Amino acid sequence: MRAASGNTALALGAAAAGIALVFAQDVAPAWTGYHTWQYSAALAIAAVAVGGYALGARKGEDGELGMRLTFAMTGALVIIAAGIASGLLGPDTETVQRAPGTVAPLPDVGAAAFFPVAGPATIASGDTSISLRRRNAGELEIAAGGRQFVGATVVESVPKPAAYVEARDPGGAHLTITQPTNPSFLSPVLLFPQEVPLANAVLPADAFATPALHRQIKAFYFSKSASTAARNHGIAGREAVLFAVDDDSGQLLPGGIGFALSGQAVDLGGVRLRPTLGTYPALVISAVPYPPALWLGGALFVGGLGYGFLRGSPKRRSAENGPPAAAIR
Amino acid sequence: MPRNLVGYAVALVALAVVAWTVRSYFGAGGGPAGGAGGGPAMLAGAPAQSYAVKTLSGRSDSLQNYRGHVVLVNLWASWCAPCRSETPALEELYQRDRSKGLVVLGIDQGESSAAAAAFAKEMNLSYPILVDEDQQYGRAYAAVGLPTSLIVDPSGRIVRGIDGELTLAEMQAAVDPLLHAQ
Repeated sequence: MRAASGNTALALGAAAAGIALVFAQDVAPAWTGYHTWQYSAALAIAAVAVGGYALGARKGEDGELGMRLTFAMTGALVIIAAGIASGLLGPDTETVQRAPGTVAPLPDVGAAAFFPVAGPATIASGDTSISLRRRNAGELEIAAGGRQFVGATVVESVPKPAAYVEARDPGGAHLTITQPTNPSFLSPVLLFPQEVPLANAVLPADAFATPALHRQIKAFYFSKSASTAARNHGIAGREAVLFAVDDDSGQLLPGGIGFALSGQAVDLGGVRLRPTLGTYPALVISAVPYPPALWLGGALFVGGLGYGFLRGSPKRRSAENGPPAAAIR
Repeated sequence: MPRNLVGYAVALVALAVVAWTVRSYFGAGGGPAGGAGGGPAMLAGAPAQSYAVKTLSGRSDSLQNYRGHVVLVNLWASWCAPCRSETPALEELYQRDRSKGLVVLGIDQGESSAAAAAFAKEMNLSYPILVDEDQQYGRAYAAVGLPTSLIVDPSGRIVRGIDGELTLAEMQAAVDPLLHAQ
């Protein structure tokens, strides 16, 4: 392989750094730094270094190798341009959390997300797929913890704490659960969208009501680590929910506060509550470089490197030009 | 010269890809029609979801079983005051139009069969009642309160989703065009 000049090494280094920065968007797309001026400036510097070298090389400033490497540099420029476009024009990372059984329009993706109905078993297993329905395109399924590229975005399914709550009156009769502050009014699934400082920790929190008994109930989710830190021997090391049962005027009822483990019924403030704890997915939508641009740019870059270094190697050239002069003599 | 041509072609393709890349951030547009993010009214045109739940007599039934009829689905609960005041009009509508193929399907949300049965007996209801303890219909139909009503055509498609209490005249206005079209 022919030795590269200092300029060549610098340009290749800038191209590699720019490409690495762009591909980082595919590896960890949710990082907000991609939409900052510092990220775009870093890519712009790489683009100037690569573009400047390519222009000079076309004029023969870096010899035969430089001429051959302009294809690779063009590929690097395409990739870097895709990265800059994604950072500057792509939407900020957004988390879409919806109740089971609802539909969320996703304008940045050109699709609608269908969050399936989930019962206690589904919440406990956390095994829920979300389907994306797109205009003039096939339906996409995103498994729990999975991701799908849709145009210039990537949609990831991220498990979030959830609880399916069953409520009964003291006689054991089933009660309607409502969530007046939630767009899904009749959902018995709590998604804990708020965060509340409590017991030396910041806990996911939610609220619901049982109108038939005139109860308003707050729920605080304790993860395994939070329940251990809470130093309550009954729940240590296990997921639990702390319920606080108020009357219609917001007054905490006597005996209205207590922990419940998953699947365990507790009687609090005249209502029997049984949560099933687990996860339900939220969608995290992030802009990524347009994949066809990465494929084309990548192919040009790799192919261009091969063209530049392999076709330009002395061994290959000697084979093309016939035996060396010494051998003729 | 051929090498120059190849170079220009590559540069042209690269520029086109960059332009297409930039365009991709402006071309997504909205989601498909019929999204249900904002209450039952957004469900118009969508297929009506169906779940098997218990009737007051304990057998299994679902909305799917009423395919071929115009169905007024009414989500209610016995503790809900507007549901209670709306119920006589639902019964009257059912009595008036059942011979024309209308089904009024009451779906109790979240309560026990005993509570639903007591309510049906008190209100002297003759239309079919389903008991949806897990509130599956309420979630799928984007209910933002009770009562919630949906008009479903004979093919199983939602024609209208309505939040809140309806009068008899409003119910008639919602179902009459579908009954006449049969």
